[in-house]
Amino acid sequence: MRESVISLFTAYVPMFGVPAMLYIYMLSFIPGLSFLRAFSLSLAMLGLLGFGIFGMRHIFLVKKRPAMPLFEEAETIRHGKDFKTPKNSKAVKFRIKRFNPQSKSLEEHEYSLPADRFDSVLDGLLWIKHTQDPTLSLRYSCRMGVCGSCGMVVNGKPVLACETNIWKNTEDNGLDVEPMRGHPMLRDLVTDFDDFFEKHLLVNPYLYRKAVAEKYSAEKEYKQTRDQLDRFLPFSYCIMCGLCLDACPVVNTNPTFIGPQALSQAYRYYADSRDQAGVSRIENVDLVNGIWDCEFSDSCSKVCPKGVDPAFAIQLLKAEAIKNDIFPQKDHQNK
Amino acid sequence: METIECDIVILGSGIAGLTTAIHSSNESNRQLRISIVTKLHAMRSHSVAAEGGVSGVLYPEVSGDSIDLHAYDTVKGSDFLADQDAVEILAKNAPEEIRFLDHLGVAWSRDEKGRILQRPFGGMSQPRTAFAQDKTGFFIMRALYDEISSHKNVSIFHEHFAYSLIIERGRFSGLVCMDLASGESRFIKAKVCVIATGGASRVYGFTTTSHSTTGDGIALAYRAGIPLKDMEFVQFHPTALVPNGILITEAARGEGAYLLNSKGKRFMEDYAKSKMELAPRDIVSRAIITEIEQGRGFTHTESGLKYVHLDLRHLGKKIIDDHLPMIKEISIKSIAIDPVDEPLPVRPAAHFTMGGINTDIHGRAVADENGNVVKGVWAIGECGCVSVHGSNRLGSNSLSQCAVWGRLVGKQIAAYASSEGFNKGEAEKLAETERDRLEELASRESGEDPYKIKEEMQEAMDEYLYVYRNRVGMTRAKDKIEQLKARFSNVYVKDKSRSFNTNLRDVLEIGNLLDIAEAIAIGAMHRKETRGAHAVVEYPKRNDKDWLKHTLIFKNRGKIGLAYIPVKITKWKPVERVY
Repeated sequence: MRESVISLFTAYVPMFGVPAMLYIYMLSFIPGLSFLRAFSLSLAMLGLLGFGIFGMRHIFLVKKRPAMPLFEEAETIRHGKDFKTPKNSKAVKFRIKRFNPQSKSLEEHEYSLPADRFDSVLDGLLWIKHTQDPTLSLRYSCRMGVCGSCGMVVNGKPVLACETNIWKNTEDNGLDVEPMRGHPMLRDLVTDFDDFFEKHLLVNPYLYRKAVAEKYSAEKEYKQTRDQLDRFLPFSYCIMCGLCLDACPVVNTNPTFIGPQALSQAYRYYADSRDQAGVSRIENVDLVNGIWDCEFSDSCSKVCPKGVDPAFAIQLLKAEAIKNDIFPQKDHQNK
Repeated sequence: METIECDIVILGSGIAGLTTAIHSSNESNRQLRISIVTKLHAMRSHSVAAEGGVSGVLYPEVSGDSIDLHAYDTVKGSDFLADQDAVEILAKNAPEEIRFLDHLGVAWSRDEKGRILQRPFGGMSQPRTAFAQDKTGFFIMRALYDEISSHKNVSIFHEHFAYSLIIERGRFSGLVCMDLASGESRFIKAKVCVIATGGASRVYGFTTTSHSTTGDGIALAYRAGIPLKDMEFVQFHPTALVPNGILITEAARGEGAYLLNSKGKRFMEDYAKSKMELAPRDIVSRAIITEIEQGRGFTHTESGLKYVHLDLRHLGKKIIDDHLPMIKEISIKSIAIDPVDEPLPVRPAAHFTMGGINTDIHGRAVADENGNVVKGVWAIGECGCVSVHGSNRLGSNSLSQCAVWGRLVGKQIAAYASSEGFNKGEAEKLAETERDRLEELASRESGEDPYKIKEEMQEAMDEYLYVYRNRVGMTRAKDKIEQLKARFSNVYVKDKSRSFNTNLRDVLEIGNLLDIAEAIAIGAMHRKETRGAHAVVEYPKRNDKDWLKHTLIFKNRGKIGLAYIPVKITKWKPVERVY
């Protein structure tokens, strides 16, 4: 609005105002009309003043390219991935096994999409969801491999979709995507994590201190050497994506097994020098369906996207149990 | 509709939400019934993606650092728009919170003596950013989530999407949310609601943040009549990976990485001679864009994006492996570049919402410019605006903010919920009306494609409300968003399933994003100066005479109103900001 007023003023003052004033000025030379001379001169002064104020501002603020870059016609910063067909892309096929909650069965759907060399399986799935089939259901969030949402099975291997490159995993121009089988399926690629979280809680996964008030007041930090840190650090990288449970042959045949994720976290807190729970942590998992159910197939460590090595953690727990001479309890429920 | 009654409902499960839950529970001797409502699994909130660290003066006697210096750096970084009383609270309480997180089991990186290491960060005059490698947010989130499991009175509602905040007669009544797994709506009746839903950087297409950072809590509060403060200030992080926008932490530069243009020059010496790469983010972002605009950038083949180089090679493999392992992992996995051998392609991306729900210094939501609080509603973390970040946040202050106000608010709400009762009114009825509106939306047979609307909104925001803004562009952005909002009123949800309907969730999120985009555009159009992250080409100077004030944007019966409130200045008078 203000721009248009300003441009009106700057355009019309010279176009009409100046000739009109000249005309009035000339009229004033006719005898008897000399009073118009003062009138036209004062009008001219006013006009010049107005032009000066508005016009100069207009020229300097709008027309002239300022010292800082002006972005009116500048490049468009496009997402470039989710919606557009990117450059240097090739067509790939996603064969997606979607779980249907009504029929309780997997249905295969095929989609074709363009993918460039940077696109992840998650990018591809979202492209499908946003442009072809909004009903496709999947879980995702950070797209940088740290939130643990997008665990699924690609070409038969449990992976994080956001960390899995399309080009590198394409055979015959296509790849297979299906939900994890180590967790109950909910819909399409989404699985139910309630049991998984319950199992995590079974191992009391928090730093235990005898004095709770002191823990919460926090006047001083606990000292910890680098050696002490290194003892638990590798096991603290767990993002709770659930891939290890999908890969574990024991979990898939015996759902009561606490599983590699929870057990690795039991070791993570046991090995932390700041924790005061001591051997009670070992007793807590020293069960038939705890550490002793692990057959050390090592598949959990093979699929862990963050290199946690749960299989090793479980063997360390077994060693601690033997060292501390603890007899296995029957199972968690009977304890 | 099922009604769940509890004392406190916390909306959001990031660092702010979980800290509040822990402290309110602890304060009440684990007696109060506390519910955490989150649209994700609680441990997957975007806080996990925080990389660089937490600021706080831990060892003043060794480093010569001081609380005052931290506060001043923050105020100067904010371009003097931060409320200085709030900043003083932040700087004073931050060290205690870092130690508290240590007590919960965060795997802080340590020095030889077992003390917590601290690294330099942008705009900070001393190394005071405590870190756990470059996964600080992740470690904190895991520690907090695990700690919650020892509080049996806290129940977590995973994957519940809140879509309405019910406030009656200026007081909180309850929250309506949808259980994603079953599609059922639930009414959560509580005395207190703490909104901790984080930022809204997904209004932009090129952003460092998770797909889930859609500012749901900000939009809920805005629609419920609570004003938003300073929404025009959006932080652009200078170093987001091209082409996907994944964050390359400022800690890389804190450890000593260089920014290089296509001539191989460390161009920051032209923009911030003394701080170089560790100038505050707004300055570095503008520098990168200016270099690119003047033709000294690179062009990315696949995406067409222009970028500069972030060079970590001289740091050596050991520093990168010990202090920046996630950066290395991400670059190798997503763009197949190892920062040990090659420089990384980076450019600025939307990163943080400095503005948010208008709150007072205690974190209570404030309903108007006169300071009347909305009873029972608190807003903390990125979704609230206390304001400690003013017009530009310093890196690593955000985590301290979440932790500090998490404790302060936790204590207040424990006292409030113990002494006050439930709001009287017809909340259940209102909740049912809201539920019916959602059902109507979900049952439509045709309409606009929500993803097209989202794409067009993100394009407009990326183009017109990026690092540099101009008046024509801002007007265009606002007009575009108005059109999109009109189209959105007829939006179509194609997915008719009740189980895990992410299509419906996306539509609700896009509705929230549109409201926030509009607030950003309007706030930006009206602020006629360049301050912090808000750089207007036509007004290249800061104007303290007219604009040393906070913007408030209201939504009242569909109409949008603006108001301004003064900035609290205690010790530090505004001076020119030079680095």
